Formats: sequence, C-alpha cells, structure tokens
Amino acid sequence: MDYPQQFDVIVIGGGHAGTEACLAAARMGCRTLLLTHSVDTLGQMSCNPAIGGIGKSHLVKEVDALGGAMARATDRAGIQFRVLNARKGPAVRATRAQADRVLYRNAIREILEQQDNLSIFQQAVDDLLIENGRVAGAVTQMGLTFRAPSVVLTTGTFLGGKIHIGLENSAGGRAGDAPSIALARRLRELPFRVERLKTGTPPRIDARSVDFSSLEQQWGDTPVPVMSYLGSVAEHPEQRCCWITYTNERTHEIIRGGLDRSPMYSGVIEGVGPRYCPSVEDKIHRFADKSSHQVFIEPEGLTSTELYPNGISTSLPFDVQYALVRSIAGFENAHITRPGYAIEYDFFDPRDLNYSLETKAVPGLYFAGQINGTTGYEEAAAQGLLAGLNAALAVKGHEPWCPRRDEAYIGVLVDDLITMGTHEPYRMFTSRAEYRLLLREDNADLRLTEKGRELGLVDDLRWARFDAKREAIAVETERLAATFVHPGSAESAQLESKLGKPLTREYSLADLLKRPELEYADLAGLKGEPLADAQAAEQVQIQAKYAGYIDRQQEEIDRLRRYEHTRLPADLDYSAVDGLSNEVKQKLGDARPETLARASRIPGVTPAAVSLLLIYLKKRGALGRADQRQSA
Amino acid sequence: MSTLSHLDGDTIVAIATAPGRGGVGIVRLSGTAARAIGESLCGAPLTPRHAHFRVFRDSSGQQLDSGIGLYFPGPNSFTGEDVVELQGHGGPVILDLLVKACCAAGARLARPGEFSERAFLNDKLDLAQAEAIADLINSTTEQAALSATRSLQGAFSREIDALVEAVTRLRVYVEAAIDFPEEEIDFLADGKVAEQVEALQTRLQQVLQAARQGSLLQEGMKLVIAGRPNAGKSSLLNALAGQDTAIVTPIEGTTRDVLREHIQIDGMPLHIVDTAGLRESADLVEQEGIRRAWEEMASADRILLVVDGSSPDADIASAALWPEKNQRLGADLPVTVVHNKADLSGRPPAVIQQGGDTIIELSALTGAGMDLLREHLKQCMGYSDAGGDSFSARRRHLAALAEAAACLEAGREQLQLAGAGELLAEDLRRCHNALGSITGVISSDELLGEIFSSFCIGK
Repeated sequence: MDYPQQFDVIVIGGGHAGTEACLAAARMGCRTLLLTHSVDTLGQMSCNPAIGGIGKSHLVKEVDALGGAMARATDRAGIQFRVLNARKGPAVRATRAQADRVLYRNAIREILEQQDNLSIFQQAVDDLLIENGRVAGAVTQMGLTFRAPSVVLTTGTFLGGKIHIGLENSAGGRAGDAPSIALARRLRELPFRVERLKTGTPPRIDARSVDFSSLEQQWGDTPVPVMSYLGSVAEHPEQRCCWITYTNERTHEIIRGGLDRSPMYSGVIEGVGPRYCPSVEDKIHRFADKSSHQVFIEPEGLTSTELYPNGISTSLPFDVQYALVRSIAGFENAHITRPGYAIEYDFFDPRDLNYSLETKAVPGLYFAGQINGTTGYEEAAAQGLLAGLNAALAVKGHEPWCPRRDEAYIGVLVDDLITMGTHEPYRMFTSRAEYRLLLREDNADLRLTEKGRELGLVDDLRWARFDAKREAIAVETERLAATFVHPGSAESAQLESKLGKPLTREYSLADLLKRPELEYADLAGLKGEPLADAQAAEQVQIQAKYAGYIDRQQEEIDRLRRYEHTRLPADLDYSAVDGLSNEVKQKLGDARPETLARASRIPGVTPAAVSLLLIYLKKRGALGRADQRQSA
Repeated sequence: MSTLSHLDGDTIVAIATAPGRGGVGIVRLSGTAARAIGESLCGAPLTPRHAHFRVFRDSSGQQLDSGIGLYFPGPNSFTGEDVVELQGHGGPVILDLLVKACCAAGARLARPGEFSERAFLNDKLDLAQAEAIADLINSTTEQAALSATRSLQGAFSREIDALVEAVTRLRVYVEAAIDFPEEEIDFLADGKVAEQVEALQTRLQQVLQAARQGSLLQEGMKLVIAGRPNAGKSSLLNALAGQDTAIVTPIEGTTRDVLREHIQIDGMPLHIVDTAGLRESADLVEQEGIRRAWEEMASADRILLVVDGSSPDADIASAALWPEKNQRLGADLPVTVVHNKADLSGRPPAVIQQGGDTIIELSALTGAGMDLLREHLKQCMGYSDAGGDSFSARRRHLAALAEAAACLEAGREQLQLAGAGELLAEDLRRCHNALGSITGVISSDELLGEIFSSFCIGK
C-alpha cells in the first residue's frame, strides 16, 4: 500500500549517519521519516565504544556546531574523557570519550524522539522508488511505499557483507545485523561503481575473568573535558578507567602458528583493510622486529561486564584467538564473550557523488556513511548531517551547501572522497587538512554555527550561547589591543618573572599575549577583568598565538579560491583536451571533478594541466565571465 | 596538496626576449602589481603608454641596468592586465638580475606560456592563436623541465632529492607524533625532531650555497689576474672589460691594490679581480695588498697568470715560475698562462699546450689574441649562448630553496621557543611544498602511507 502521509525527506538506516541525517532535515522543518530495520539499535556503536580522537573529535564538534546530536549524546554517555595531544598545541588537540553503549543509544533515541517533524518507522527497506530518473521514495519489506522527493541512504556495511572467522565465512551485516539482500540487488542495477573493503574487530572479553591487579590503569583527564559546546560535566555519568596491557613473544608465536588458517594470509579476503587499523596478525607479520604491542582495554559500559581489547582485532580461527588472548598479561583466564572477526563489504565509489552527497546518477538520492567507503562513527555522522541538510535544501529548492576545505573537516572529508575516492576505509586524520591551524576543535562553532543558524539547523538556545561567546571574544580582543603595559610599571614588574627580563618599551596586552612565555591568565587581570567564559578566553589566547600563521594560511586560501567557482561540465570529454597526458586524462575522467579547484587537487594534476583545462573551457565558451581573469 | 600558482591578481614576470645574447632584452610584468613593481625599479612614476628612459635599480638602490620603462594599463595590453615592460641591454645576467629584483618586489616567476594564457583568457588572442598555446605550454614545460634538469646536474640534483627525502622523513615523524599520540612514537617530545630539524637546516644551507656558488653560469666565474708587476695585468683587465659594452657594476676594491670588474663575454658573467703584483716587498701597504691578493686567489675559480712574453719568464713552466701558487693554493686550482706583449715578443697569437700549462699568446695592447682568450674562458665554463632557459629554471630553484630554508628556520624557532609541534608541522608542510615545486608535491595520503609503513600504528 501507499503510506497515506507524504514526506519531504526519507532517511534509510538508523546508525550514526542516519540519525544525524534525519535530525538535520527535521530541524530544517522538513517532514522527515527515518526507516530502520530496528528501532532498538538506533545509535548503536557497532565497533569500539569510543567517540572522538585525533581528527575525529574535530568532526564531532563540527556536527555539534551545526546542531547535531553526537557530541551531546557523548556528554551523556561518556564514562572517560581525555584530551589527546594536550601538550602539542590547540590545533591538534582532540577530545576522546569512552562511551557506555547503552547510555549512548538511549541518549540518541531520546534526542530522536523529541525532534519535531521526525517520524520513525521500523521495517527493512527492499527497494527504492525511482520515477523519471529521480528518486521518489522507498518500498519496505512488507510492500509499504513511502514517498518523498529526497532519500538519504545510510545503510553501512550491509552490501555484500561477508564475515570471516578463520577459514569459515558467512554472509552477514555488522555485529549480527541481517544483510539487506533485496535492496543490495536493487542498488547494483543502478550505475554506481562498486568496490570492496575489509575491516575487523577484536574478540570481546568478560571483565569478570580478567586479572586487573597487574594492569596499568588509565584514567580520564582532570578537569574532565566535555564534548559539546553546550555540554557540561554535570551531564557525565560516573567515570571509569581503562587499562593497558601488552602482547608478548608468546602471543606472537601463537599468531604465527595460526597464519596458515588466516583468511587474510590464505587469500580468502580480497577487500582492502585500513592501514591505520591493522589486525594483530598484520602487526606481527609486518613489524616482526617489535616484540610487544599495546592493547587498550576499554569498558563497554557501566552496566556491562564486556571489555573491548583495542589493538587485537583478528580474523584468526577461534582456537587461535582463544590461545592468543590467554597469552596476554591479565587475560590468563579470560573468557571471550564474542569472537573477533573480519568483515568484507561493498561500498559505492564516492567519486559518483556531488559535494552535496547526492548521487550523480539518481537525482534526489543521497549516500552517507560507510556506504561511501569511510569508517568511524564520526565520519558517518558528519556525512549524515551534510546529506540530511542538503536533502532538505533540495526539497526547499535551495542550492546545496558543503563547507570548503578551509572551513571544516567535513569539507576535507567530502572533498577527499568525491575527488580522489578511497582505496581503504577512509578515516580522518589532522594531517589530511592542509589548513589544520584554522580547523581546530575549539573553534568549530566560530567556523560553522552562524551558517548552521542560517540553514535552520541551530536552535535558539545554541544560538544565544554562541552569540554571547562570539561577542565576548570580540570585546576582549579589542580590550587587549587597546590596553598597554608600560616599562617600570607595577604590571610590568609582575610579568618580569615570566619573561625573564624587564619590558623595554610599552606593549599592548595583545602583543604580549603573542609571546610564548605568556598566557591569557598572566595578562588578562593586569588591568581590568578577565573573561569569565573559559571557552571565549581560550579563543582570545589561541587567536593571538596563531595570528601570523593564520594570516598566512588565509592568504593561501584566498589565492586558491578562484578556481572553486570555475565549474567543469559534467559531460566534459577529457580525452579531447589538447596536451593533457594520458594519465591525467584518465584520472580526471574517473573523478569527474565538479570544479577546477577540485581537479587541481587530484594527485598528478599539475598546474600546467590546470592551465590546459582552463584554455579548453575558454575555447568551448564554457567559462562564465566571472571565471575569467579580471583585469585590474 | 598541489598548489595552484596561477591566480587572479598575482603579478607574473618573465624575460620576454629570446634566450641568449641580444642587443635589447625585455623583462615583462603582468598583473595588478605590475605598475607598482615597475615604478619601484624605475624609481619614478610611469605614464601610460609613454617611453621613459630610466636607470633600473633593485630595492637596495643598486644599479642593474638602464633602459626604457613602458606601462600599458589593462585591458588595453597584451594580456589584458596591467603590463610593464623593462627594455634594457640584452644578456642573460642583466635580465636575470632584473627578474630577481621584480620578484623581490612582489612578482612571481611566470610559468611557461602563462602570458599567452592570460591573454587568451582575457580575450586578447583569437581562437586560432589559442590553438598554439596548448602546444606552447606543453613544449615549454618540457623545455623548462629539460633546462631545469640541466641546471641541476649530477650531484646537485641528487642533493635536492636527498633533501626532499629528508624533509619527508621528518614530516613522517612529526605528523605521526601528532596524529597518533597513543602509539609511543612521540618524537616531538624526545628531542629527536629538534635535532633533525637542525641537521636538515645545515644540509639545506649547504645545498643553497652549492646552488649559488657552484653554478658559474648563474653567478659568474671568479677570475683572478696574477703576475709580476708590469707583466701587463691591468692592461689585460682593461682589454677584457673594455671591449664589452655591458660593464655592469665596477666596484672599487677595498684597498688600492685589489680591483674588481664584473663583465660579460657573450652574456657569460665574469668577476675579474686584478691583484697587486706578487713579489717580496718591504712596503707595509704593499704587503697588505699582497696578502689580500692571496686571499682573493683562494676563492677563485681560475687564475690568469700574466707573464711578459718578451721576458725570460716566458720560457719557464708556471709551476717553476710560481711555486708559491701550488704551495699555498694547491695544484687543483686551474691556471691559464697568458703570454702578454705578443706585439713585443713577436710570437703569433695562439693557444699552446706546453709542459702541463695552457698558454695563450696575445697582446692586450693591440688586442691580438684576445678573442682566443675569451673563447678559452667560455670553454672553461662550459658556456654556450643558449643559457637563457637554465637561468630562469635556476632562478626558480633558488627561490624555492630559499623559501624552504626560511620555512625551516621559522619551524625551528616555533619548536624551540614555544615547543609548538603543530606550528613546526605547518612550517614543514610549507617547506615541503617549496621543494615540491622543484621535484613534484607529495599528497597528504602519500605521507600517511609513509607513516603506516614506518610505524606499527593502530589499535
């Protein structure tokens, strides 16, 4: 039957991408439907129980700055919070939280259920409704048809999923979810390029069987960090510690003894695994000279006795897993609650997407999350939010939006994916962002919240908090620039111990703040009241310390921006462009970049190749006046 | 990330005349700052479409050349942008100095074909002409690459490769420490990185020095004229210098006894130093002059030992005639023996190989045999007239190396003063990009690949 109610946006899949997608569309006022095969697993963390980390917390905070749910749920579910890289400078600091799976799921469920304009329906989706070449809705297993002009597909690893434990394998989705065969078949009929990836998980362990007495404890930071700009420590549940243990020579011997029955080493697995998250058998094989590897033991939650031993992901047969686990200190008598496994799955080449995450082949259809070849909850959430907001913008008849590489890690993520595709599960790292100094986790709100407000993603509460903070930063920055310390004054004497020598001339507080020896706290109270808002004070300090570098990055951005607006026609025949090498023709043809700027970012596309493209466009009359060089 | 260098608003500069020696050489600027840069070199305002006779000077006021300055405001110009032409005396050295001064004033070296490209994009060339531009970009890119290779021959090229590799290694350490703080590979904290930065700086300075000094083509060969008093050293200097119209910068020596000339032979730059006559002397001033003469010779690329061809000295091999040279400077420093005063000795102008010496018979007074000397000097330097391309290629490389060195220094300071690993990382990224303009850029994903193959990463 046709479901009687018409929707604007349908989101299929209730993982981290799907929840952010439907919440974003609903926040923007679209009548939104979330279709999930199980309401009980909404917001499920199917891999390790942690949110954030290097590069990833940046994404979480950007999602938060745009009104998303992930950071807020993390604050309500986090049982250990740490700031990584705390001593390495603000641009690369990253908050990481261990999360209680149940609390996290509950927090997400609560946020979903309180969201206006959002309906949830439990039923597996078997088919997409496609009319006149564009998406028109989705059909569920029982034949129910839901109609909407925008559909966001966030179905994770369900496509062609194959689970390996030793040489045994079976069709399956992640963590016991049933694979959706019918929808997979349907999608394969559409003109998307499909490729295969692999990932894995470690065996889980029952805490009651672990001897913690010999293990090193790892507690969270004090003061306890928070994830959301609106979050507070008061929201956090009880805090717990993690533990660290190590593999040893005997562990490695056991693993080596089992390699002949490893699906990886016997050639059963074809998919490419992530380089940054190798299985334990990979580690000892590739780095044979290392006699020991760290294992981080993470609690799955306050009410669970399961532990996640991070670092021993494996697809070796169960008997080898059993022996290798028990060879590790603390795990001598460990009981495995779930065996580790590797999963192979299909993903769609993200180069078939526009920057809005809409598929090039089927207008109105958006892909977000693992289906695009990424890994990680945070990467999924970021794409979900973006796909959801663009699905909503399309319904409203507005132009799509995606932050640029210099505005957000979300922009880096999407730009990398649609420009270069990926050959391994794509994970965010700060080194992927050339404008890393601008894209900090501490300023995601300053970068994005105003845009989020304009898009309708940011509610009044968040906006008011943000506005006050922004105002405080501006006022305080001005005050520091206009307040001077004179040599020989009492204030100067106070600074002398820090500076190691007296001031020789007068300096503004803003200038003094640029010095590595001085902090905001040393200066702000010298003449007048320091800011009470710690977040704002932090911004004032960071902006001063980074000023020269930020200006230079900004210049680089301004210089490169021109080609962001030079569009490359979707049907451009690269083989007809005079002078391009065959290699460059091939790369451009595969990627079909939307703009000249994207083309220039494809490895191997030289400045000369960009010139040739520009000349070709001009010859075809495909350059808008605005694209052309303006004479002075 | 690959860097687009071709941008709205930025001002490009290049030598517009064909490479090699010509009567007139033109340096062309195009872009928003063309006028300002042109006026700073000319030292006075340029009226649109007027020919101004000016002395061209660099920012320190050093005279580079004199000639005509022309300003064409856009859109009525070759490229459609503001264009300035500086028309001076030909010769790659002067033109290169002008380009260098333009770059110092804010211009960027144009890529091959970039002027034509801008002209086409601004509707200044028709479609038929445009067909040629693609070819031009291609062929000149190849040519530039060729001359770049030529200019970076052998050991120097290997040095650059080694340098890029060292920067990559360093970035691998720094980025790994930043992106994988839980992996027990915090090189930023253990001082290893600071050491490596400094080692890299030393190395980069050496390469930069080699690039500057090692290239006779770029900076000119240093030729010291030595010999007994009255052998005719000064007249030889005058003969060499005087016959070339393009005397660039005659600089008085710091003492009355060392005189320098900067001349060109067919566009080949040559620094000539005329030294005090070498002899035992009781005169304190002259002794000082002689000491300085030895100092000059120690840094020379070649010595011209001038001998009075009409004196008995002409029959003695240079090693015997002047043993102090080999004793004090070693046998490796090449010597060319000039038998001057051929008009008196009556020997015909010639190049003679004799007893391990290269001897040139000539007369500085009449000029007979001077062309043999010039040809000999050109051969010694491996100079050919087609050196223009190498000049701009080398200018690019020097600029890239200097930029890389500046980035490294900034990064070192950040690490030392503020312990700021993330700022060091940013400076290393810029350093890498600068070197990448010579050898090709490395993408962030390739860098990550290096990290993953170097360290066991991953929980």
